[in-house]
Amino acid sequence: MSESDGKKPTGDAQPPRPGAPTTHPAAEAGPSPGNPPPAAKPPPPPPGKPAPKHPGFVTVTVDGKELVAKPGANMVDAVKKVGSEIPYYCYHPRLSIAANCRMCLVEVNNSPKLVPACQTSMTEGMVIQTRSARVQESQRAVMEFLLLSHPVDCSICDQAGECKLQDYYQRYDFRPSRLEGEKLMKSKRKVLGPTVVLDQERCILCTRCVRFMTEVAKEPQLGVFGRGSAELIDTFPGKELTSNYSGNTVDICPVGALLNRDFRFRARSWFLSAAPSVCTGCSRGCNTFVDFMGQDTYRYRPRENEAINKSWMCDQGRLSYKSLNQNRLAVAMLGRGEDRREAAVPEALKSVAEQFKALAGTEGLAVLASPLASNEDLLAALAFARDALGVRSVYAGGRADGAGDHYLMTPDKNPNRRGLEWVARGLELSLKPFAELTERIAGGTVKALYAIGGEVPTDPAVAAEAFGRLEYFVLQASNESPVTQQAHVLLPAAVHVEDEGTFTNLDGITQRFRRAYPPRADSKAHWAWAVHLAQEFGFPWIQTSARDVFREWGPRVVELASFDWDGAAPPLKVTRGLNPIATGADGRPPGYRELGVPRVRGI
Amino acid sequence: MAHADERQTEDVAQDEESELEAHLQTKRMMINLGPSHPAMHGTVRMKVELEGETIIHADPEIGFLHRGFQKSCENVTWNQCLPYTDRLNYVSAIMNNLGFLKAVEKLVGVEIPERAQYIRVAASELHRMHDHLTCVGAIGLELGGFSAFLYAIEGREQIMDRVSELTGARLTTSFGRVGGLNRDLPEGWIDRVGKTLDKIHELLGEVDGLLTNNRIFVDRMRGTGVITAQDALDFGFTGPCLRANGIGYDVRKARPYWVYDRMDFDVPVGQNGDNYDRYLMRMEELKQSEKIVRQSLREIPPGPIIVDDWRIALPPKAEVYGTIEGVISHFKLVMEGVPVPPGEVYDCTEAANGELGWYLVSDGSGRPYKVHVRAPGFAILSGVHRMIEGKMLADLIPTFDTINMIGGEVEQ
Repeated sequence: MSESDGKKPTGDAQPPRPGAPTTHPAAEAGPSPGNPPPAAKPPPPPPGKPAPKHPGFVTVTVDGKELVAKPGANMVDAVKKVGSEIPYYCYHPRLSIAANCRMCLVEVNNSPKLVPACQTSMTEGMVIQTRSARVQESQRAVMEFLLLSHPVDCSICDQAGECKLQDYYQRYDFRPSRLEGEKLMKSKRKVLGPTVVLDQERCILCTRCVRFMTEVAKEPQLGVFGRGSAELIDTFPGKELTSNYSGNTVDICPVGALLNRDFRFRARSWFLSAAPSVCTGCSRGCNTFVDFMGQDTYRYRPRENEAINKSWMCDQGRLSYKSLNQNRLAVAMLGRGEDRREAAVPEALKSVAEQFKALAGTEGLAVLASPLASNEDLLAALAFARDALGVRSVYAGGRADGAGDHYLMTPDKNPNRRGLEWVARGLELSLKPFAELTERIAGGTVKALYAIGGEVPTDPAVAAEAFGRLEYFVLQASNESPVTQQAHVLLPAAVHVEDEGTFTNLDGITQRFRRAYPPRADSKAHWAWAVHLAQEFGFPWIQTSARDVFREWGPRVVELASFDWDGAAPPLKVTRGLNPIATGADGRPPGYRELGVPRVRGI
Repeated sequence: MAHADERQTEDVAQDEESELEAHLQTKRMMINLGPSHPAMHGTVRMKVELEGETIIHADPEIGFLHRGFQKSCENVTWNQCLPYTDRLNYVSAIMNNLGFLKAVEKLVGVEIPERAQYIRVAASELHRMHDHLTCVGAIGLELGGFSAFLYAIEGREQIMDRVSELTGARLTTSFGRVGGLNRDLPEGWIDRVGKTLDKIHELLGEVDGLLTNNRIFVDRMRGTGVITAQDALDFGFTGPCLRANGIGYDVRKARPYWVYDRMDFDVPVGQNGDNYDRYLMRMEELKQSEKIVRQSLREIPPGPIIVDDWRIALPPKAEVYGTIEGVISHFKLVMEGVPVPPGEVYDCTEAANGELGWYLVSDGSGRPYKVHVRAPGFAILSGVHRMIEGKMLADLIPTFDTINMIGGEVEQ
């Protein structure tokens, strides 16, 4: 991860005026509990200027209210503190300042003209007006100008519902068009690369995407070409937008110009609900929003986390949502090959418990755990493996290592490798590599296997061949693969968005994710299968949620003992789909789209 | 076994003997009127405790028509609440629609165009006549005067025809939008309303002749279902039921809205607070409403029917299909609703049964944060036991008629 991709609040803005209190080291760091502004040594007031009202800070007046801000704070962000709002398109807190959209123009007392709020540094005693008549007229004029050549596309545009043009038009313009004549025509569907397609007619040329590719992704693949009304965003001739971070340009595009080819035309944004989650594409643990409808996930969006992914995520992670929908296992299966049949959950549990009771404690029984499972899954499943099955070591499964890149994506494609290590150690189980397991199956020492998660670090077909020699193979897996074909008992597992839990990323940061919708059909989280199996064994386990599981076994793991499970939960800002379904229409309570389409006969 | 049988027969014989020998006495009896009973308007259950034919205790039990109206409104945009308001007092749906819109408009702080105000007054008064005709006709019906009922329903049917021409629906009108109206008067409507009013005037004469001085009718009505003025005020009575007690409170006069201050009409006031006065109030209000409808349709000015503000009213269709500005506004209004500024408001109109009040809370989004409706019928129903306790069972029927309880608005 590079260091210089962080916030650039000043960017190419005007340098601070000489003598402005920004030069003070404490002032630069800003006010925080650990860094109180020094009271004893206020910065010397510049000659001819009033002494700062609050030493170490800039005091300005915004719409008649006093605002005390850090020197260097951006006006657009700072005024929110006193309840004012400055609209903007081109400004982004993590990108340099372009000040080209002119939407954030405000009136200040030391300038005869309106100034762009994103680019103007606040000075002591400045009087800022964000809603004066002049400002309102300017905002209206800018909106009218931006919409002048905008195509009449809302009804076919993916951005509709989350579009800044729509929001700001309704708030700052709300007047009819005065356009006489034709709108400007540009390319309607310019494919920029494998992930992104550009509608140049909708583009307002804020250049956020260009700045993102240059400054954050450090792969300057986009540029602004042409001048005047022929100006447009494009890739350089003969080149494509191939960056692994190109999906972020779609997120930061304030209008519907840049579109994700994967998500395009698949859902209307107001029908989607969102739940805070964590990406499972690699071990970075980028924070995401899961956008879902019914029991299907439609896309991931990055969720802001200063410590891990800032506001970004990679394209590979972004597309990893597909495994949540495709090839999912829904019901328990008994038998292998031609004997395979669907089974009810109690029957499957009973059959597994009977077999395992005979095998428990023998050398021939091994346990395979996947680092794709959450800490709670692993805590319960490994506790079951140790206490009921009597094993003293587990084998680590999970996806094979892949390519990493220069920014967020890591070579380890498993979101919870560190968690698996911690949990195994905490439960006094030794962790062994997968290769050893295949060797021992080939050697005939391992005859039965209990696998938590069906992912294997080798070619699945090769692993499946090895597993074919097993005499008894119980597999909890979420997706179909060659490996699942070899299971004698196949228990459908929930994926992470279907339950709550925690992942520990490669830096040892443990993060909570929330549930978006309930598991499909008969599938259950790994921990739930483990608890049910333990109950079949006669163990008095009563855990009914991931939280219960963490409370029971979490304290056994040193690294997780102090983790505040409830406190670490991301705020549940579930944005609901706009049109809630009426009560009783399909069995869901009113307004709760997220409970999913019930899998009942007739619907 | 045989022995036991013998003893049992003996006991039974003894019991029968004692029952036969007992003095004639009245036992208190509990009877249920409703929830499904022709005289129970809507679906309401009246638990009545009788001693002989005297009502000792009466307890109206509501809830059979509860639909969660207030909560449902929180899930939809402000304009989408309209079909829910239709189902409050479904005999005068337009007054609910427009009363709700008036409260929303007060919260938004928008003044609707004059033409819309005139149309709202005319439509409201038409539906007030519709409501009163139903009430008067039902009184006649339930007291045995079926002809009066038919005359009243004939008039009501005429109003329904005019209303369906105006709104497209006979009963559930969903008329009006925030900021004005969704449709203008149809071609030739004013003339047809004039003819309708003539016809109703004629029919009202018939009803009047059949009921007002009818001995049977008057005997059942006069002096029954009496409530004192103080009780009526304490229970929160409004509308004709309050005015029958001599208290001339009418929202149209007390706090004139729309163009009611330009209308020339009187508020009839009774003095006895009994069923007969409540009946007379409605007969007189029918005539006053007719006056108002005629005057408003005579004076109606040309002009727009909804405010020209794309934050509140949908743009014209040509703009929606042809310009980005129109389509954005349309999208935002349909998908997110009218952005009503945060705040709370109480506002009321004079509906057919009294003060129809709305307490609305907005959090600034396009959907209500809270909707509470002060249904006039609720307050009146809660005082009904005071009118009939100690009276005869037969008085309950006209009393229940004249308070004109409408299940839809009471139970919401």
